[in-house]
Amino acid sequence: MSLAAEAFVSQMAAAEPWPESATLYQPLKEDQILLSDCASSLAVQAYLRMCGLPVQVVCRANAEYMSPSGKIPFIHVGNQVVSELGPIVQFTKAKGNSLSDGLDDVQRAEMKAYMELVNNMLLTAELYIQWCDDPTAAEISRPRYSSPYSWPLSNILAYQKQWEVRRKMNAIGWGGKTLEQVYEDVSQCCQALSQRLGTQPYFFNKQPTELDALVFGHLFTILTTRLTSTELAERIKSYSNLLSFCRRIEQTYFEDKSS
Amino acid sequence: MAAAMELRCWGGDWGLPSVHTESLIVLAYAKFSGAKVTVSPIDWTWKTLTATVPELLCEDSAVQEPAQILNFLRKRRFNADYELSARQGADTMAYIALLEEKLLPALLHTFWVDAENYANLTRPWFASRSPFPLNFLVPSRHANTALSRILLTKGEAPLHRITEVEGKIYSDAKECLNLLSYRLGTANYFFGNFSPLQSHLRQLDNLTSFCDNILAVYFNSDHPCPPPPVQETMAANLQKLTQLVNKESNMIEKMDDNLRSSPQHKPHRSEPKPSLATSKHSLLDTLGKVYGSHQQQL
Repeated sequence: MSLAAEAFVSQMAAAEPWPESATLYQPLKEDQILLSDCASSLAVQAYLRMCGLPVQVVCRANAEYMSPSGKIPFIHVGNQVVSELGPIVQFTKAKGNSLSDGLDDVQRAEMKAYMELVNNMLLTAELYIQWCDDPTAAEISRPRYSSPYSWPLSNILAYQKQWEVRRKMNAIGWGGKTLEQVYEDVSQCCQALSQRLGTQPYFFNKQPTELDALVFGHLFTILTTRLTSTELAERIKSYSNLLSFCRRIEQTYFEDKSS
Repeated sequence: MAAAMELRCWGGDWGLPSVHTESLIVLAYAKFSGAKVTVSPIDWTWKTLTATVPELLCEDSAVQEPAQILNFLRKRRFNADYELSARQGADTMAYIALLEEKLLPALLHTFWVDAENYANLTRPWFASRSPFPLNFLVPSRHANTALSRILLTKGEAPLHRITEVEGKIYSDAKECLNLLSYRLGTANYFFGNFSPLQSHLRQLDNLTSFCDNILAVYFNSDHPCPPPPVQETMAANLQKLTQLVNKESNMIEKMDDNLRSSPQHKPHRSEPKPSLATSKHSLLDTLGKVYGSHQQQL
């Protein structure tokens, strides 16, 4: 959206309160959704729960195509559709719910920087492992991605998605990396997050912010998803304060959900 | 430890040791950590096409990519980050990610994609530094890489046209500069008060060269000399750097307006010179402009 259109939508958003019928769309949970999409979706769900905004999760096979930006997840609130955590945070802010109002400018700068770090490192690593690592792509990603469709559409869509992701990885310089290097990058990212978290309950002391939701979404999904190798989960498990952070958020905000 | 290290990179111009962002990062880090590195520019050689720069050669091993080179130097005990606490090290990684995500596309765009800049500045420079017949190939190869990177990472639906992508890139870059100026505040360095600097500051050095380029090409006005990163004592110069960063975000905002020419923004197009002159008057003035327009955008 152009910036003028974004400003207009924010104004319209501010006009109405959060409805009860807000829905969040994601791909089918059991068969279709992949690691990176599941992480992003969980991050948005955690954020909305932290804000105290009710939302129903609906699974659709064509969620990716319904989304305005092509990315999962997206929410349908009133008569507006917003996708991805960044725009959703701005949207809820326009409606008067924000978790980061109490931060000063320096802290906000830090928060944005850490969110970029998570997106840059963790999300890219997840995409790499899913699509650029041949065993994982063949055994898990392609079958799952194309499961709602029949042959030959399933093959075409799966390979098209794989080609797109590999092209993007090449453009940002991750095409030449080995799996070992990717695991190493994930470790470094987790080390940075662990050092920043320290012994505090949340990243910015007492109150959770969108950064906490984003980190929780990614780490929890990696820890609970079965891949061809458990190396990634093992690397995260070596940081105990991150594990207890995930457990704490799960218990505080998702306790009514059966695990 | 005393092994000779040779760094291959692009040559320097416009007051900087190297015009190539990644080479500049490595050069600055080497200087700050005290590593003895002989610089061999690849200008005017066939390596402009064949080599990946920057590249560090040490004994019989070759290391590419700035991140790997910095790791290599750290392993060799040339460590400029030694004095930082663990938390500061973590913050560093975060800010580097922010810069790469928000600022790098804008830099790439200004140098390689924007038609006027590319034709008048970047391509002649790189073409003049490459031997025949590479001067036809090298600049366009860089430009294609830059354009494809921008389009693939930023140009996803619904932003199909390049003009919308440009608007988004520049507003992201402006926000990033604001965040960095909040972080720097009135301190001399981002972390600590001594010469070890992080690579995001080196990216900022590139910003000053970039903003000086714009000044030189578009405005032809006097500007304070950018501090070359080779100097160890940068205390007063970094204060100037903060001012330049703010001026920089002002200019990016003007480019933003030029690109979108939306009726709700004040027409800056016809008066670049007077605005720039006023922005030199005081730091507060510039800050006010930046934050004021930033508020207006939101």
